[in-house]
Amino acid sequence: MSRMTADLTRTTKPGGAISRRRLLATGCSDAFRPPVIRGGLIGAADVLTMSTTRWLLTDQPLAREYTRADIAPDFPTWGQTNPSDEVYQQHLSEGFANWSLSVGGLVERPRWFSLDELKRLASRTQITAHVCEQGWSAIGEWTGAPLAQVLEAAGGVTPDARYVVFESADGWYESIDMFEVVHPQTILAYRLNGDDLPVGNGAPLRLRVERQCGYKNIKFVSAIRVVDSVAGIRRGTGGLSSDFGFHWYGGV
Amino acid sequence: MLISSSFGPAAGKDDFVVATDPVRSGVSTWLRLHTYNVRICHWINVIAGGYLLLSGIHIFLDFPELYWGHTGYQGYPAIFKLSDWGISWDEAGEMGNRMWGRNYHFTFAWVFLINGMVYAAWNLWTGHVRDRLWPRRDELSSARLRDELAEQMRWGSPARATATSYGTLQKVSYVLMIFIFVPVMLLTGIAQSPSIAAAWPWLLDLFGGRQSARTLHSIGTVLFVLFVVVHVLEVLAAGAVNRIRAMITGRFRVPEEAQ
Ligand code: HEM
Repeated sequence: MSRMTADLTRTTKPGGAISRRRLLATGCSDAFRPPVIRGGLIGAADVLTMSTTRWLLTDQPLAREYTRADIAPDFPTWGQTNPSDEVYQQHLSEGFANWSLSVGGLVERPRWFSLDELKRLASRTQITAHVCEQGWSAIGEWTGAPLAQVLEAAGGVTPDARYVVFESADGWYESIDMFEVVHPQTILAYRLNGDDLPVGNGAPLRLRVERQCGYKNIKFVSAIRVVDSVAGIRRGTGGLSSDFGFHWYGGV
Repeated sequence: MLISSSFGPAAGKDDFVVATDPVRSGVSTWLRLHTYNVRICHWINVIAGGYLLLSGIHIFLDFPELYWGHTGYQGYPAIFKLSDWGISWDEAGEMGNRMWGRNYHFTFAWVFLINGMVYAAWNLWTGHVRDRLWPRRDELSSARLRDELAEQMRWGSPARATATSYGTLQKVSYVLMIFIFVPVMLLTGIAQSPSIAAAWPWLLDLFGGRQSARTLHSIGTVLFVLFVVVHVLEVLAAGAVNRIRAMITGRFRVPEEAQ
């Protein structure tokens, strides 16, 4: 097991013990800046925003968790609500019985997970507010496998791992850094409000990264890849929304 | 030609400058009215404020409804809908560019914050806030406020054109702006950020939820527009060229009537 792997397991408990110093020591100083820094005043502001909020989050607090009574009556669906991709439609018609998630890149044992295998991993349920960068917010109860657990089940990440890249069935992609990966609330959710994840909300699996805006919470996840750099992946900014011109870090 | 002035620490031997005014009677009196710091911070603030307003409107138009509490989305009971005012959801979406809005809003929020901190720290330190901005107790009597309000209503009155210290209402509005409005806007702004809300959940309690913070931030935007409109009208009424020039160069030409 690599050092980072050991950290990953240690921090899956709430209020995990990973400290800023520890992250720095394990090569996670990326926590303070996006993988690609834009030019000009906007780029400077990006770095200020990310480093300030990450500094406030040094102790890895949990995003607020609410009670069942707070759950939104009908959780909105937004953006892509049913990918037209043929393979996806096939899986959907089979109830995702033959669907599987590819986990590759800088993990010790790249592998595939069926939905059942993911459900057999220790799960986490959290009632949190989804905050969309557009302005809306809604509270829902998410159940899923902590991302750190999934990576652990693939043998753990290698020491040069810096980002996890997510691909989706509708051709989207996003990435998050290790600071977010080790957080206990960062889960691959397969249930919303106790039911299987509805198609409109990203069935069968979506990322919940509770301390970042909606656009980082990628739906219809089909593959995850651990990398040491996002350069060379599509336009190289680390996500489709940042390829478009949004800030890669969705914390505000 | 000398005018008595009660200018706090800025007063000094440089305060009165005699210069030749070729158009008018030959010689006029000039006064150093605004310090470097106040001038530079003020104009940076105008640029940042302008961008914040514009980019904020862009962000709002992309989701033109307001709610109260933690939850709010299309279909959830709203307390304000732009569509009730004749602009449909789709029309608003076409007018607003969320990406541009977010990029510029957060950039100029930093400019605004850093500039504001320099301004506040500097002017608290030098006594500018205490001497020129903070209303004195005797200024706050209701009779005096009534007189000043009546004076405010007279466009271009000589007293306003010659004033070299701020009126009480002006002081009150500046102090409210700097010490109440700006901090509230800052807090309601960052309360909407999921990362800051995770670090400081008390912000959500303070405002009653993310949507409440967004609503208060939007109400604040309307108040900001009102402030700027009144502020600029006041400047125009009190001698536009002389006042704006003074805010740029620091020098205020004492109008003839006062000499
Ligand atoms: C972003 C919007 C604005 C804000 C928040 C703002 C705020 C302020 C504040 C706080 C002061 C007092 C400064 C001090 O003595 O420390 C001031 C003075 C002044 N502002 Fe603005 N301002 C804004 C826009 C403008 C604009 C657009 C103009 C141009 C017409 C302007 C012209 C002036 C002038 C001439 C003074 C000096 C007033 C006097 O000598 O009586 N301001 N402003």
